Amino acid sequence: MRPSALRRSGAIACASCTWLNACNGTSSYLDATGASGAHEARLGIWLTVTACIVVALIAIALVAAMMRHRAAIGDRGDEARAAGASMRNEIRGGLRWIYIGLSGTLIVLGLTFAGTMVTFGAVTHPPRSAAVIMDVTGHQWWWEIRYTDVAHPERSFITANEVHLPIGVPVRVMLHSADVIHSFWLPQIAGKTDVIPGQTNEMWVEARVPGTTRGMCAEYCGLEHAVMALVVTAQPRADFDAWMRDRAANASVPVAPVPSQGAVVFAASCGGCHAVEGSRALGRAGPELTHIASRATIGAGALENTPANMRRWIANAPSEKEGVRMPEMHLTGGQLDAVVAYLQQLR
Amino acid sequence: MATLAIDSAAVEQLRQTWETTPGWRGVLSTVDHKRIGIRYLVTSIAFLIIGGIEALVMRAQLTTSGEHLVSANAYDQLFSLHGVTMIFLYAAPVLSGFSNYLWPLMLGSRDMAYPRLNALSYWLFLAAGIFLYTSIPLGAVPNAGWFDYVPYAARAYNPGLNIDFYALTLLLLAVSTTVGSVNFITTLFKTRAPGMSLNRLPIIVWGTLTASVSNLFALPALSAALVMLFLDRRYGTHFFDASAGGHPLLWQHLFWMFGHPWVYIIVLPAMGIVSDALPTFCRRPLVGYTFVAMSTVATAVLGFGVWLHHMFATGIAPLALAFFGGASLVIAIPSAVGVFAWIATIWNGRPWYPAAMKFLVGFILLFVIGGVSGVMTAAVPFDWQLTDSYFIVAHLHYVLVGINVFPVIAGVYYWFPKFTGRLMNERLGSWNFWLMFVGMNVLFFPMHIVGLLGMPRRVYTYPSGLGWDIYNLIETVGAFIFAAGILLFAINVWRSRTRGKAAGANPWNGATLEWSVPSPPPSYNFETIPIVASRHPLWEERLDEGSGRTVFHSELLLDEKRETLATSPLDADPAAIMRMPADSYLPLILATLLGAAAFGFLFSLLWLAGAALAASTATVIVWLWPQAETAPDGMQHTELGELPVGASGTRSVGRWGMLAVVATEGAFFAYLLFSYFYLSSIATNPWPSTTPTLALPLANTAILIASSIFAIWAERSIARGNTSSLRAGLAISILLGFTFLGLQALEYSRESISATYDAYGSLFYTITGFHGAHVFVGLIMLTVVLVRAFRGHFSAANHDAVTNATIYWHFVDIVWLAVFSALYITPHLRA
Repeated sequence: MRPSALRRSGAIACASCTWLNACNGTSSYLDATGASGAHEARLGIWLTVTACIVVALIAIALVAAMMRHRAAIGDRGDEARAAGASMRNEIRGGLRWIYIGLSGTLIVLGLTFAGTMVTFGAVTHPPRSAAVIMDVTGHQWWWEIRYTDVAHPERSFITANEVHLPIGVPVRVMLHSADVIHSFWLPQIAGKTDVIPGQTNEMWVEARVPGTTRGMCAEYCGLEHAVMALVVTAQPRADFDAWMRDRAANASVPVAPVPSQGAVVFAASCGGCHAVEGSRALGRAGPELTHIASRATIGAGALENTPANMRRWIANAPSEKEGVRMPEMHLTGGQLDAVVAYLQQLR
Repeated sequence: MATLAIDSAAVEQLRQTWETTPGWRGVLSTVDHKRIGIRYLVTSIAFLIIGGIEALVMRAQLTTSGEHLVSANAYDQLFSLHGVTMIFLYAAPVLSGFSNYLWPLMLGSRDMAYPRLNALSYWLFLAAGIFLYTSIPLGAVPNAGWFDYVPYAARAYNPGLNIDFYALTLLLLAVSTTVGSVNFITTLFKTRAPGMSLNRLPIIVWGTLTASVSNLFALPALSAALVMLFLDRRYGTHFFDASAGGHPLLWQHLFWMFGHPWVYIIVLPAMGIVSDALPTFCRRPLVGYTFVAMSTVATAVLGFGVWLHHMFATGIAPLALAFFGGASLVIAIPSAVGVFAWIATIWNGRPWYPAAMKFLVGFILLFVIGGVSGVMTAAVPFDWQLTDSYFIVAHLHYVLVGINVFPVIAGVYYWFPKFTGRLMNERLGSWNFWLMFVGMNVLFFPMHIVGLLGMPRRVYTYPSGLGWDIYNLIETVGAFIFAAGILLFAINVWRSRTRGKAAGANPWNGATLEWSVPSPPPSYNFETIPIVASRHPLWEERLDEGSGRTVFHSELLLDEKRETLATSPLDADPAAIMRMPADSYLPLILATLLGAAAFGFLFSLLWLAGAALAASTATVIVWLWPQAETAPDGMQHTELGELPVGASGTRSVGRWGMLAVVATEGAFFAYLLFSYFYLSSIATNPWPSTTPTLALPLANTAILIASSIFAIWAERSIARGNTSSLRAGLAISILLGFTFLGLQALEYSRESISATYDAYGSLFYTITGFHGAHVFVGLIMLTVVLVRAFRGHFSAANHDAVTNATIYWHFVDIVWLAVFSALYITPHLRA
């Protein structure tokens, strides 16, 4: 399989991309946009090509062996003609296949090992000290992400199911689990690392190319393992810094003497599980929603983030995502509208 | 073949001795390895079809993005059940089926070394299968995948009976597989025809032997993990609980220490099928027999050193990653030997291509694809991308379908005439092959691509727009093509059973011993035990290997009772005339009792579990009680010299069985101790949480050693014919053993922590508790032997049971020394 073919199929997919704005339409890791991902992709392409060549060579050898005595097919009288001594010579001759085959195998394996070690050195070599630290916590079935700007610790904030990466800046990722084992995977940026309760795994990610891709949980973690995605946005450093500042501040909800009906209903009905900074909603069981309106998806990739979808989700999330922990909310139509209107302001 | 006229009265005598009673009594009590083999094959292929239907539902669900054919919950249960069914209820048992049927026929024997154990192995397998599938009506199908990672499989996240079904099913299967392995190993080393030396064994025998030895050392890792899982779930221990000193990765280590060798266990015998059948269709011997046999063993040995490659993404130190990555590459070398040996055999041969051969050639190509994609996953940094993606799904199916299912189907086409006396239909066979071969590649090849495109495995749905849709659609089409192939296979088997062409003894002109007997073989297999002179007994005229000629009709009639020849382990020199047990209900009863115990544990009916286990113990005692029909019976003169009838000592099979049991039990304790040291090495809290006192255990150690010394004295005494010293020695041993258990109980009562306090407590009580249970089992053995000593069963020439019981007793003693050093001494060294 050629990488160009993969890229082409990615491009086709992009055209039909439904819910990720500016998505490049693929999560192919041979089409890498991250630093370690690029090393891994180079190794992967090399391995893929080698694998195809090896399979082709052996297939040719197999067919050649099958063709060699084709004339004899069906000629069962042949056995009588083959003298014992000549058969024993044949077997000795056949051993050459094993010697040659083994030599070839050893060469391929040696090269593979060398390539592996070179790549290994490149991707595990710790980069310069981190400018940004991401603490990622896997939950059944969503991601909580705390960003810390090392130079400006006050700009620490929590978001959910979205990752922004500054281009050319290595980001240190600390992986925690709130419940079961997950695996944090941003296919085009870097390989996956498991998220395991009882230990904090660490990895480095560095985006090289701007754009939006899909990240996901890669270790089966229960009912909604399939719907535990992340939207990954790689952007220039300046844009990223602006995003950090914006996220660290509260959402600019219009100041009113009396909180809107939506804010009141939200705090009462949703605030036990969800938090919106600067409001009375302080829950931590579910995703942080301070800037929910600016996120691309709802429910860790369950739905595109539109007002209509938001309304469906709040009314009855389990009908959209079977295993979700958020229960069916028994709100009136008016309350629903008010909450959706309120959440739409949280940019 | 020279035919010596065998007395027809003698043949009739053989038939009457060996034939199973007709009717349902025979069905329930038979120990005929051929009937058991066929049962294994039919049952496991039924599970293949059931598991295949589960897969078809999953493929239908994934046809397009956002499909809602089944719920997320149903999908998770489907893929878990599919994995457990295929890996445990199909892939291993189907190979046991071939080996059960073929081994005695290939080795020139009349049955396996332990015919009743063979029946037990099958009944337990069936019980495990039925047990697992009762989870469907109870609505609690296992749902954490076939490798069942904790903590998702822990009670906190998975409170139903789902995972308990998983754990108990696999424990039942572990017992089944272990007794089966003990049987294969003993059969190989003890019951071959004279002259069937190790360098003349068919490769499937090498494959199954290697797999059986691997089983002894790999399965205990799984059993230990399952016991811990069950204790964690039901009784509040903390083996995998990170908040109390346990760790979820302990499960992964133990599971893959078992899991990776298991992969080779379920492919090596299948590769043996290829190495044996391919030469027949090439009309030439296998090229590089020694290379292939040695590669088989090497693969299994290396297979124990690569478990970590299933865990490359779990945050493991780079040095370990590099080592295990390298080891995983090395394991490709013995596989390459096989591939080139097969190609060279075709190259030399004058091949022809009936359906069986088509499957064999197809297998070679699929094996290469699966092997090469396996090498890709050994490249650690790239594996961080590949692992848990659909690429792995593609790889593992090329390996398991390619290397297990294709040779199995080939094997059925090849040996069906031996099983039934009839050939399978070739026209259907050709369609069967092409549908399966094309379907296989259309189904699984695109999974590589969709995996490289970033699709993770075990998802019940996926979004559109990522380029995954078209490949998934193609895969589903391939799945149904493949299923059509399997359906044709089933139809072909069904039709050919009664309507196939008559086959004769050797329809393919095969070289090995099974083709020298009629199809289907008579209940006694061989009229007389053959005396083997070469690796290809039926090709000796053609090959002229200068090793003399195999004698198919020797004078070794052995028709007094159920008799076969016991031979020496390496060169297969005759050692004794073995007497085999008659048909028996005991295997069925024991399997039923163990199944009942499993239900007892499942529903927390401990009275049921306890009663079933007690009844099982009684059944085992009855089983092992000496029988007149197998008792030693003087010497008999044969053409190969004077041979004892009904052997004892090292000539008997009992010793081998006991040594194999001790090996696998020893491995079980080794895995428990590994768990102890693993958790202590990563402990963040003080370990151990309380330091055990030394005085009482030291005294206990002395008591156990003393008891072993008295056991030695007892055994030495009977070897000299001194029965009263035997009785005295055994009695003192038993007394000391019970004292040990009493003091252990006293020590428990003084401990400041419980098994539910933390992971250390869980391990302390589990390890010492399991050791205590082994002491108790040893005491039962010694007591039974003592009772028999009082009944005058033993003499200087015949005291196997004494020797075997003392071997077990010394084993329990040695395990205690290891447990004592680990649990009691190391904490003091550290302090």
